[in-house]
Amino acid sequence: MPNLEHPAYPADDLLHLESLVPCRESQVSTLLSIFGERQQFSFPSIFIYGHTSSGKTYVMQTLLTTLQLPHVFVNCVECFTSRLLLEEILIQLQGCSGTEQTSPVRCDTLNDFVRLFKQALATQELQDETLYLVLDRAEQLREMEANILPAFLRLQELTDRNVTVVLLSEIVWELFRPNTGCFEPFTMYFPDYSIGHLQKILSQNHPPEYSADFYAAYINILLGVFYMVSSLEFLWFCLAAANERDTRKLWKNIEPHLKKAMQTVYLREISSSQWERLQQDGGEPGQLKGLSAHTHVELPYYSKFLLIAAYLASYNPVRTDKRFFLKHHGKIRKTNFMKKHEKTSNHLLGPKPFPLDRLLAILYSIVDNRVAPTANIFSQITSLVTLQLLSMVGQNDQLDGPRYKCTVSLDFIRAIAR
Amino acid sequence: MLVFSPSLKPVVQINSLCVCLQQIQEDLNKQLLDNLVSFLSRSHSDFQEKTTKWTCRMKFREIPTAALILGVNVTDHDLTFRGLSDVLQDSITPYVALLEAKDCPGIKNLMQKLMGQLMNCDIEVDSLEDEDCVQVSQNRIRCSMPSLVSWYENVTKKTDSETPSKKRNSSSRHWQSPPVVVIFKDMESFTTKVLQDFIVISSQHIHELPLVLIFGIATSPMIIHRLLPHSVSSLLCIELFQSLSCKEHLSTIVDKLLLTSQFPFKLGEKVLQVLINIFLYHDFSVQNFIKGFQLCIVEHFYSQPLSVLCCHLVDLKKRVYSLSHDQCENIRRLPSFRRYVEKQESGKQIALLTNDNFLKEETEKLLEDLHVYHENYVSILRCLHVFTSSLPKYPLGKQIRELHCACLENQVWETEEYESSLQLARMLNKTDLVSMLQQCVEILMSSSGKEFDKTVEKLKEFLTQFQNLEASQERDVSVSSQKELQKKTDLYHLQKTLLELKESRRSKKLTKFEMLRFEVVDYIDTLVRKYLVPADTRTLHEIVYFNAATVLRGHLNAAPRTALHTALNNPHWYLKNQALKCDGGGISNKAPDICIVYKLHLECGRLINLVDWLEAFSTVVMASEEPNADAASSDQVDDIIHARFIRAVSELELLGFIKPSKQKTDHVARLTWGGC
Amino acid sequence: MSKRRLRESSEESPECISQVQKILRERFCHSCAAGKLFGLKQQYSHLLELLRRTTVHGESNSALIIGPRGSGKSALLNHVLKDLREMNQVRENLLEVHLNGLLQTNDKVALKEITRQLQLENVVGDKVFGSFAENLAFLLEALRRGNRTSSCPILFVLDEFDLFVHHKNQTLLYNLFDISQSAQTPVTVIGLTCRQDILELLEKRVKSRFSHRQIYLMNSFDFKEYLKIFKTQLSLPDEFPDEAFAQKWNNNVQHLLEDKAVRDVLQKLFQHTKDLRSLHLLLMLAVSAVTVHHPLLTAADLQEAHRQQSSDSRANIVHGLSVLEICLIIAMKHLNEVYDGEPFNFQMVYNEFQKFIQRKAHSMYNFEKPVVMKAFEHLLQLELVQPLERPSARAQREFLLMKLLLDSSQIMEALQLYPNCPTDVKQWAASSLSWL
Repeated sequence: MPNLEHPAYPADDLLHLESLVPCRESQVSTLLSIFGERQQFSFPSIFIYGHTSSGKTYVMQTLLTTLQLPHVFVNCVECFTSRLLLEEILIQLQGCSGTEQTSPVRCDTLNDFVRLFKQALATQELQDETLYLVLDRAEQLREMEANILPAFLRLQELTDRNVTVVLLSEIVWELFRPNTGCFEPFTMYFPDYSIGHLQKILSQNHPPEYSADFYAAYINILLGVFYMVSSLEFLWFCLAAANERDTRKLWKNIEPHLKKAMQTVYLREISSSQWERLQQDGGEPGQLKGLSAHTHVELPYYSKFLLIAAYLASYNPVRTDKRFFLKHHGKIRKTNFMKKHEKTSNHLLGPKPFPLDRLLAILYSIVDNRVAPTANIFSQITSLVTLQLLSMVGQNDQLDGPRYKCTVSLDFIRAIAR
Repeated sequence: MLVFSPSLKPVVQINSLCVCLQQIQEDLNKQLLDNLVSFLSRSHSDFQEKTTKWTCRMKFREIPTAALILGVNVTDHDLTFRGLSDVLQDSITPYVALLEAKDCPGIKNLMQKLMGQLMNCDIEVDSLEDEDCVQVSQNRIRCSMPSLVSWYENVTKKTDSETPSKKRNSSSRHWQSPPVVVIFKDMESFTTKVLQDFIVISSQHIHELPLVLIFGIATSPMIIHRLLPHSVSSLLCIELFQSLSCKEHLSTIVDKLLLTSQFPFKLGEKVLQVLINIFLYHDFSVQNFIKGFQLCIVEHFYSQPLSVLCCHLVDLKKRVYSLSHDQCENIRRLPSFRRYVEKQESGKQIALLTNDNFLKEETEKLLEDLHVYHENYVSILRCLHVFTSSLPKYPLGKQIRELHCACLENQVWETEEYESSLQLARMLNKTDLVSMLQQCVEILMSSSGKEFDKTVEKLKEFLTQFQNLEASQERDVSVSSQKELQKKTDLYHLQKTLLELKESRRSKKLTKFEMLRFEVVDYIDTLVRKYLVPADTRTLHEIVYFNAATVLRGHLNAAPRTALHTALNNPHWYLKNQALKCDGGGISNKAPDICIVYKLHLECGRLINLVDWLEAFSTVVMASEEPNADAASSDQVDDIIHARFIRAVSELELLGFIKPSKQKTDHVARLTWGGC
Repeated sequence: MSKRRLRESSEESPECISQVQKILRERFCHSCAAGKLFGLKQQYSHLLELLRRTTVHGESNSALIIGPRGSGKSALLNHVLKDLREMNQVRENLLEVHLNGLLQTNDKVALKEITRQLQLENVVGDKVFGSFAENLAFLLEALRRGNRTSSCPILFVLDEFDLFVHHKNQTLLYNLFDISQSAQTPVTVIGLTCRQDILELLEKRVKSRFSHRQIYLMNSFDFKEYLKIFKTQLSLPDEFPDEAFAQKWNNNVQHLLEDKAVRDVLQKLFQHTKDLRSLHLLLMLAVSAVTVHHPLLTAADLQEAHRQQSSDSRANIVHGLSVLEICLIIAMKHLNEVYDGEPFNFQMVYNEFQKFIQRKAHSMYNFEKPVVMKAFEHLLQLELVQPLERPSARAQREFLLMKLLLDSSQIMEALQLYPNCPTDVKQWAASSLSWL
């Protein structure tokens, strides 16, 4: 990989920048050459995509801050309405110029935004330097008003200022394009870190008490286990978790141990800090019960039966009710009783909705003693719905028979039925 | 003369009950709350110290989160959360926000709610600076995380620069930068999107705003995985906290509330059964159980005129002697008192029935007896529970409330379960037996009853005998069969060995230990027979025990469908009009129109033809107007009858029995069951 | 040869390169303002005449400029306006109002913007108007009453014209066209849109007031002209300060044009789209590689730029997935083949995956269902899979119906490039229905 070089920036800064972004030199140099010199125009909009933790945000942020380019950095998740987004940009713009004038900005529409944006730029001593407007998690822009995204893409034209909008997202550009098309940004891909990259990055900050070689070997093992499923972010995490391990243990039988760690940690069964404490105490993870260890839910007697009845109603076709729940059902020939595909697909396709009456009928037939249809029974159905064990289908304002679905799995029902 | 207004009584009792309950509940939640508090204080220690350790950097974006598993009794959660937020505000942080799913359909609403609660709490904390508060409310227009962060900075800065006197006040309770706690009351009902967005947003600001989340989970923690994708749940650092299971909660309540002599009011067997059944079968809600209990108190004092005597022992004398003649008559009418009188000799009978003063003296004595009975009952019940709760398979129930119910129901020693538990008790090993006896001694010593001196002595004697036995046992080696029994085996094996033992017993002589064991069990049995008599055999139990289970069931376990059906099908039940009394399945034409229409519709199928229905209706109605066939024979239905019919039908529609059908125009669809 | 060039060119001054960059960047990235026009002579003269008549003779008019994105609508208009302003009679005698459908999202905002651009805020003050028409009429009246007795012609330019159609009752359009028809104030309305069916979108009363003058812009040049455009766009202007370098640069461009590789690249691009913007994008990328050490464009630069521009983004994303996620995608691919593109749910995918695991258990660790679920959710988050209905909190995730947004050739291609892919996973992907 070439050393970064650019006429517009001092070599020291570039060197520093390079040290900050390991394994991302080529992306940085591409970006630098696209950005050009400070006053030069660049693409009106650049769209950068890549997986989580492929360094999009990090690279952009380091690049802009180390080189001290004028920029505004906004996370679109944070700004859940377009107004918040626009105001946030303007506030940051004010902060950019250094003047401590934090009068509350009011900006409801893009029209106002463009006007205020121009004003804000005019007051600053940017000397026509390119302003970079970075919108992180840009996929959120699609949720806003339809004009926001196209407008940002051609902000340069709309404001007639030297501005480049950089969109960061995990999602490919094809899914952004509105129906009638829009200004096409320059798209750029940040590839994920390869195993080699990871090894390099992770080995870079090895703890001081171990030698670098040792640590590198250790990371090698680690990657072998985790690389199959995980993302970088997760690896960081595992590393933190596994780090306090005794070194001798490491060589012995670390692999199965790590596998176990993966299962528990991947699902966030126990928290990282709990894990740490555990490691310090030298205990085994088995002692701490994870999230999934608590799957059993205690339910009142009738709620259990209601849930079981709901499960039966959801997964059995109506035709079979008579056969299953009536004591004196007529003889049904077994061969053509159940079509073959039906049997297999019921558990694949998920629960079917059923009316309240059917639920109650099945309930009466599976409970041994008589059940009075008291208000308590009905309120239990609604409380099961609020607990998300059942779900109501369709509008619930209809007087006639509400319909429900059972949303729990077979395992859950088995646990309850015990 | 003092007049005791009965209406005042329950208030006093309920009040004292509430105080007691609160205490109990606080004690119960103490463990949980302590854990939570320590978690919270731990959670942002990094933030306090501003350390940048290697490991800290790794998880710098994780939000500390407590997953609080509360069980399915949603109605009880409110109380827990209130307690929690009180404790937090007392000891950790003034910034606590409680969020409910129904207030937060979108992230915007959530932020609004959150900021509203947090900033309001600020106003409460230091209400001196009015102008600041105004400013806060003005700034609230922009509800986004950055403004929340800046608010937080302002607030914490302010506490820093406050006057020393005030600072001491605040810093003694909270730290410099207390965490902001956000409680999601009902995690299950929140939508994925809202939670996801909120977590992602707040994780961006976690190093500026020390946020801690608390998820209130009713079902199981797996719901977190169902709600949040991995990319979001990896932003959380979740720890699990489990609240006391509601069954244990109930047991404690029963233990502390019913099995105590603190309250003169008692629940009868049936009533208790109703309350417990509702709890176990329907809602698991301790709150509802307590409400039911309170209802019992009210109902008792309302319906039982003699409940004025249901009071503490100290007030008893005064109250008994201030009884009026009518009230004395009331006492005489009590069935248990009549039974008592019948057992007395004739002279005393007359005195009891005619002399008010004598009656009062006797009443006082009887009530005192009842009180003593109750005290003894509780102590012995606990002793018995010590035994039964350690038996395999728990023939008399694991919980003391089950034992209590069994004892209240009838004479417990006559039941099979009791028999089998005694059998099992006869096979207990020595160490268990000794420890049980010790427990019993403790229970009896601590009870206020004076009668137990002898019993305690006796038990202690047993204990010393056991000790002596130990000394001599070394020589006694021949207890082979025993050793097998020492291991606790399951019921089946136990019974089998028991049978074998019986066989062998004929031939073999009992060891000393076995003899002693038999003695102990027999002694316990005598205690039980003496003290655990069912309450309804006691004289004057009606005054203290509330036993109207049907009334209670009617109140607590309403059956609206049944009630509606009864009202429409058998109006006499409610209207008490003789004319409406019908025999068999016939339809009386005197009944209200809607009843007639309802009964007719019961005979129909899924779809009802309106014309046929009207015809049937008019036939029934016309049956009363003298059946002179010539006038009414025409097919034309009277206009008035037609109008009545339409009104009745629309009333039925309003009640949700039928609805217009889209399939056929002149038909309505039946919504209720039946018809096939 | 290239080495020699490198050595000799390394003497170029940094200022010179910087100048080149500046000029070309402006040309490529800021083309709307000052771009050259290609093959639009006729449209140009048409529009110029139209506007000239408005300004000089005070004729009201309306016209639509229709053409696909990047066909030079704004550039054409800007050119015409620039030239118009340079005319003698026109100077100081034309008020321009520029509106953009992206910015003025409703008529209220639009009206405010019109007021602002006509600098009539003071005149309007706090007046309250009954209707939109009244307000607009007042504005125009105010203009007339201004310093000049004869009214000054106003030009309304509506960019993204199709978005104005969605405004309530099309009030703005109706009023503008109405004024342009009646002879009150000379008003000309020019709309710019990329929608060919724009007239269908107009309400009847609006349509009837429109002059039906339409100017179509089509990228109707052939490859030869395309090459010519390429050349002119890349060439340095004559007024470039360092004449020697300009000469060298322009010669190099001529060389490039004759290069086979460059022609291939251009041919590919031309076949893909005739849109000039994508050409600009390509050139811009190539030019950004020009530095002091590398002062002249080479064919390799263009090829590299083209490669970057045309990479398949979905395949890129697939490349970054974990093995487990790849497995799920393969399972989906099989499902798609079996059920002929019918939507599927997680449960089905999991089943398919399980079948694979059971057959070939040795290479893959058997993951627990929740882990697989998380992987599936990741795919969902990347929108490689799309739910058919909006996922609600109520529905179970396992049974939400989905469809895959990749086709099987994309998957296979990505799999070929995938690093460290276990062989039996590859085999599984390649296997057809035969094993079923």
